[in-house]
Amino acid sequence: MIELRHVIKKFAGRMAVDDLSFTVSPGEIFGLLGHNGAGKSTAIGMMLGQVWPTGGEVRICGHDVQANRRAALQRVGAIFEAPVFYDYLSGFRNLEILSTYTAPTTPARIREVVEWVGLTGREQSKVRTYSHGMRSRLALAQALLPKPELLILDEPSDGLDPEGIHEMRQTILRLQRELGLTILLSSHLLNEVEQLCTRIAVLQKGKKVFEGNVADVKAERGKVALKTRDFAAAEKILRAQKLITATAEDKFITLTEGRSTAEVTQTLVAAGLAVEGIWQHEQTVEDFYLNLIKPPALKN
Amino acid sequence: MFLAQLKNELWKLFGKKRTYIGFGAFLLAQTAMLLAFKYTRWQSDVERLLNGNGYLATEFISVLTVSVVMLIPQIMLLMPLYATLVGGDLVAKEAEDGTLRMILSRPISRLRLLFVKWMAGIIFAMVLVLALGLTAMSFASLMFPWKGMFVFAPGQAFSVFTANEGLIRFMGSLLFMAVNASVMVSVAFMFSCFNMKPAAATILALSFLFVSMVMENIPFFDRYENWFITHHFKCWLLVFKDPAPWLQIAQSEIILFAVSATAFILGAMAFQVRDIKS
Repeated sequence: MIELRHVIKKFAGRMAVDDLSFTVSPGEIFGLLGHNGAGKSTAIGMMLGQVWPTGGEVRICGHDVQANRRAALQRVGAIFEAPVFYDYLSGFRNLEILSTYTAPTTPARIREVVEWVGLTGREQSKVRTYSHGMRSRLALAQALLPKPELLILDEPSDGLDPEGIHEMRQTILRLQRELGLTILLSSHLLNEVEQLCTRIAVLQKGKKVFEGNVADVKAERGKVALKTRDFAAAEKILRAQKLITATAEDKFITLTEGRSTAEVTQTLVAAGLAVEGIWQHEQTVEDFYLNLIKPPALKN
Repeated sequence: MFLAQLKNELWKLFGKKRTYIGFGAFLLAQTAMLLAFKYTRWQSDVERLLNGNGYLATEFISVLTVSVVMLIPQIMLLMPLYATLVGGDLVAKEAEDGTLRMILSRPISRLRLLFVKWMAGIIFAMVLVLALGLTAMSFASLMFPWKGMFVFAPGQAFSVFTANEGLIRFMGSLLFMAVNASVMVSVAFMFSCFNMKPAAATILALSFLFVSMVMENIPFFDRYENWFITHHFKCWLLVFKDPAPWLQIAQSEIILFAVSATAFILGAMAFQVRDIKS
């Protein structure tokens, strides 16, 4: 659905996106993470034909965005942070205006979308009277008008209160479940990404530093939490038996390839050390992300 | 689809209050000038001018005469301001507000979008001039009778017409004024397509017009007057010459159309290569 191949973008000599490649398959919810200025919005801009790449190729729905932007964006909806509209016009009029930039849209279709996002009854009010949450729903409505197959969400929860963030998260899940949309989500809210996305890519200073499944990130293969009264003694025994390759924070062990937690437990018990607990460590996306973007000297 | 897009562009343009600043200012200026003409020496000066040239002043101090008297300073001073204000907003305001990014996430080409916006600007210019002309006549008719027309513009025209012929000339002058306003909108629109604030686009367009006017009036540049856009703006007054120099008017109009088209093309080129970011 989305394909970026060796995409580069320079602004006045500054590298904003550096050799970025990734693919988003149909039906996925893909998260794009990175600090401010990491290149997320620039990458999204290139996907939507708003920012011209300096090099590389961006394909959306099978079409090259630069060569055939019209075909590429025909079934794409997008939402940006801090949704802005023509405040002096009604929500319905805003939707009418925005729909004409894609294809003729009937009032019935607009009403259908308004109902889907839960704005029925307020669509004829001027947008200046809308709360932030209502604007977000209107933004979603305009994105859904062209019956999209792909939804690009650039910081959709930006500025929302916790209730609004929860509502947006549920809506995104509903979009995928009920409409089967492919979703690319750029967000600072790592908890949100963890709950929504199936895969993520992390950008740092314009470069992709990670791409993988959220499930893999959380599992952090090989890292096991061990709870025992004497961690130092346990480490000594396990190293002697070549069952582990590393330890961290006096509570984590990294198993040698092919070894299991059962062997670790048996070895420690046989050596007279009580094992109070041993389990596969599941880190949060936040832990993973923060560790990933740390300067090398500070990494575990 | 083009008509639907144009209709929506006009909704956006005429839906916001700042679009009406020009209309409001013109109404105020016209009221002030009408009262000034009626109650100061202005009217008696015009009467003396007519009498001094062998015309019966009472036959020519009329709705049409006063309308043109009111229009001359407004066209020179106020129209550039309000035409460039709206022209400068057309693209730059949407970029500043962030709505342009939302529009450009849709499969409309940049050229098409600009063309629709430009057309909306041209329609605004025409409506502005039409409103200006009609309100001038309406206001003048409150205090003056419907009689012959007298036009005096130093260096451009000194003519008298019957009421019917005067009305035809007046409507013709509105047409050429609309072309002038369209060119002003186009120049501001061009700057608006570059990466700048709406106010900057308006100021640059006004500066361009101001520099053209100043240079045109420097004696040294007399022989180059055809190179200055403001020189061609005067053709709305040439309509009141008797006989009207139609060839000269046609030449000026062609140049103005060319300037307008060039402004659009330059703006479109700049906009096409621009990166639209939040």
